[in-house]
Amino acid sequence: MSDNKTGTIHPLTLLADEAYQTFSELGFEIVTGPELESEWYNFDVLNVPKDHPARDMQDTFVIKNEKEKVLRTHTTAVIARAMEQAGKDGRMPAAFISVGKVFRNEATDFSHEMQFYQIDGGMIGENISLANLKGVLTHFYKKMLGDEVEVEFRPSFFPFTEPSIEVFAKFNGKWLEMMGAGMAHPNVLKNIGLDPKKYQCLLFGGGLDRIAMIKWGVPDVRLFYQGDLRLNQI
Amino acid sequence: MKYSYNWLKWYIPDAPEPEKLADIFTYHLAEVENLEKLPDGDTVFDIKILPNRAHDLLSHQGLARELSSLLNIAFVDPTPKYKIPESKPSDLKIEIESEKCRRYSGRIIRNVKVGPSPEWVVKHLESIGQRSINNMVDAANLVMFDCGQPTHIFDLDKVQEKLVIRQAKEGEELTTLDNKECKFKSADMVIADAERALAVAGIKGGKIAEVDNNTKNIILEVANFDPTAVRKTAQSLNIFTDARKRFENDLSPELVSYAMRELSALILEMCPEAIFEDVVDVYPKKQEQQKLKFRTEKISKVLGLEVSVEEIKDILKRYNFSYTEKGGEFEIEVPHMRLDLNIEEDMAEEIGRVIGYDKLKGVVSHVDFKPKQNELYTKIVWARNKLKEEGYSESMTTSFANKGEVEVMASASDKNFLRTNLTDGLKESIKLNQTNAPLLGLEKIKVFEIGTIFKKSGEEMHIAYGDKKEIKEITLDEYTSQMEKNSVALPASGLRHEQNFSPSASPVFKMWSLFPFIARDVAVWVSDTVESNQVLKVIKENAGDMVVRGPELFDEFKKDGKVSYAFRIVFQSYDRTLTDTEINEVMNKISEKIKANGWEVR
Repeated sequence: MSDNKTGTIHPLTLLADEAYQTFSELGFEIVTGPELESEWYNFDVLNVPKDHPARDMQDTFVIKNEKEKVLRTHTTAVIARAMEQAGKDGRMPAAFISVGKVFRNEATDFSHEMQFYQIDGGMIGENISLANLKGVLTHFYKKMLGDEVEVEFRPSFFPFTEPSIEVFAKFNGKWLEMMGAGMAHPNVLKNIGLDPKKYQCLLFGGGLDRIAMIKWGVPDVRLFYQGDLRLNQI
Repeated sequence: MKYSYNWLKWYIPDAPEPEKLADIFTYHLAEVENLEKLPDGDTVFDIKILPNRAHDLLSHQGLARELSSLLNIAFVDPTPKYKIPESKPSDLKIEIESEKCRRYSGRIIRNVKVGPSPEWVVKHLESIGQRSINNMVDAANLVMFDCGQPTHIFDLDKVQEKLVIRQAKEGEELTTLDNKECKFKSADMVIADAERALAVAGIKGGKIAEVDNNTKNIILEVANFDPTAVRKTAQSLNIFTDARKRFENDLSPELVSYAMRELSALILEMCPEAIFEDVVDVYPKKQEQQKLKFRTEKISKVLGLEVSVEEIKDILKRYNFSYTEKGGEFEIEVPHMRLDLNIEEDMAEEIGRVIGYDKLKGVVSHVDFKPKQNELYTKIVWARNKLKEEGYSESMTTSFANKGEVEVMASASDKNFLRTNLTDGLKESIKLNQTNAPLLGLEKIKVFEIGTIFKKSGEEMHIAYGDKKEIKEITLDEYTSQMEKNSVALPASGLRHEQNFSPSASPVFKMWSLFPFIARDVAVWVSDTVESNQVLKVIKENAGDMVVRGPELFDEFKKDGKVSYAFRIVFQSYDRTLTDTEINEVMNKISEKIKANGWEVR
């Protein structure tokens, strides 16, 4: 037991690095963004109007005395910002990936925590399709969970995608809900100054913690944020 | 919403078996959250209908219509089943004063008898978890779960003069049917009579005009309200009802006529003596017929799947969409209930889900794009690798705190602030890990965290690292100021090649025991010709099955041709607290075996 040992790394960090590497190899650019997000980017840009039931789909932390600010409920906003900037800089087509901490105001249990990590990505071009989404995500989950993994799409609804799908992965013989995805809604592209007649954009986003729990059999999501080094086993 | 299989079969007698139906929902429509077999042989599906289909699918008829089209099976139109009552002219007065009410249909029925419902009604309601109350309430509920339209029934004799749909007066009050006191703002919409508010429009009825066992004459309400107005009022009054859920998601006002017919017919069946008056229908602005154009080529391009004109025609026919087509360009008349179909992409989804997303072949795409390096990520990786090399382990702690500069509203927990530093969290982390040091095999706990902190002026990315004596916390930018420019972010020292990150299925994480552990040391004097491994083997063989760590050699020194090896063993059970007595026994056994080898326990 010497003091000169190298330290250990949190499993979510290892997973995030692996995800970044996988998407970097597919030509995605890593992007990051603020955890305190404007309502505009967290909701309005993504075609989630005020006073619409779709806002109930995520329980949001609102900041006291700071109108228009929320703790981001996803990192899709980071992708939207990056796409907007890429459009201004004339960097089209483009592809972005982001892993970051997100927040949901809900009661915690073994599978729910008020904070968790989300991975979000998007790829935009003139001919990007739902089939590309399936190809990219199948590649990703095989890298994360093993070559035998299968991926399937089921119909869903998100205000910022049309069509919207729910991504399931078959791991150890069971179909597991992994992330939400789809093709960017034309309103989203308009909101970030891109022409929906010209471009099609795939978007996806889901919990990184969930992948870690499935991959390594971590039984409780809350273990990730207790500062407990017994977690750093990987 | 819960759906009864037998109820669905009213409309689609050729429906496949429940299990097969569940798969069809899953892959073509919506998530089945639960499937329950009832003792009477019925099956109940709990289906999560998302906001885009709440307009038409939160009802048995809506779901049955969808299935009939999806599966190309017959739909039995229920209309002829309902006897249309003969009716007399009515002097019911309805005044719509709020533009948030898009349609209001009322009907007076006299000489009703409030009592129990017929058995089939009770059975239908109970199958989907609803309680039967009396025939009037049940009829209204049945209509809602059958066709999706919320309705309401007033006791005519408790209503003064007329029905007025108007904005509430500031401070106006009402007691709901379930005895909740509401105080309105002027933005709220109510159904009132000449004097008082009788109901919260589209949300909940009030006590004043409640139907009771003595009720003889009633007014049926079948109406349509603006979704945003209903949602705002329901949110401010904190009322959740099935009516609210339907209205806030937006319903077609066209549904009103059918629902009025169904509700009237049900009441006629329950009260054959009832005397019906004509329907009074105030419908200021009829819902317009929407048209939608889309191109076959665009559908194929969005899906990444070649879809033919003929395939699309087949789907449109099955869904009873009127359409015209020319050179692959379609124009359809959108059915009133399908408020979700507005743009070309909506049709891509409609056609995609009907065909089935399993038909998509996954194609990995590359775009012509030159990614730039992310500066923040590069810094984080650099800092993390440096600290790791220096023996610090990574910790993640909560972003929430008991005090701070940025406060969140209505947190589900007791921590309502965002952290202003990482140090406080790390202190707790060190405390926790110090207790577990023997389990971790560490003498000294050294941790770090890289994360966001929140100040009034904004958020900052910090880095903190230290041990129980001292924790240093600075901004990530300061910490990485020595980092060479153009440093490349190697994802954490090439993790992919570390054997532990194999994407293989076998879990390598082992959950720790929640019971306390006991750590014991044993030091052994042996001749310096004896290897530590030989001693370790003897200890290991006799340490029992409660060892969670070790034996680990942590000290050795030589003196006069002899050597001392010191080992640490950590004991812990996964299902109980170990006692000192039992561990003493284990240690005694180890000592005996050591002595039996001619060695000496120090």
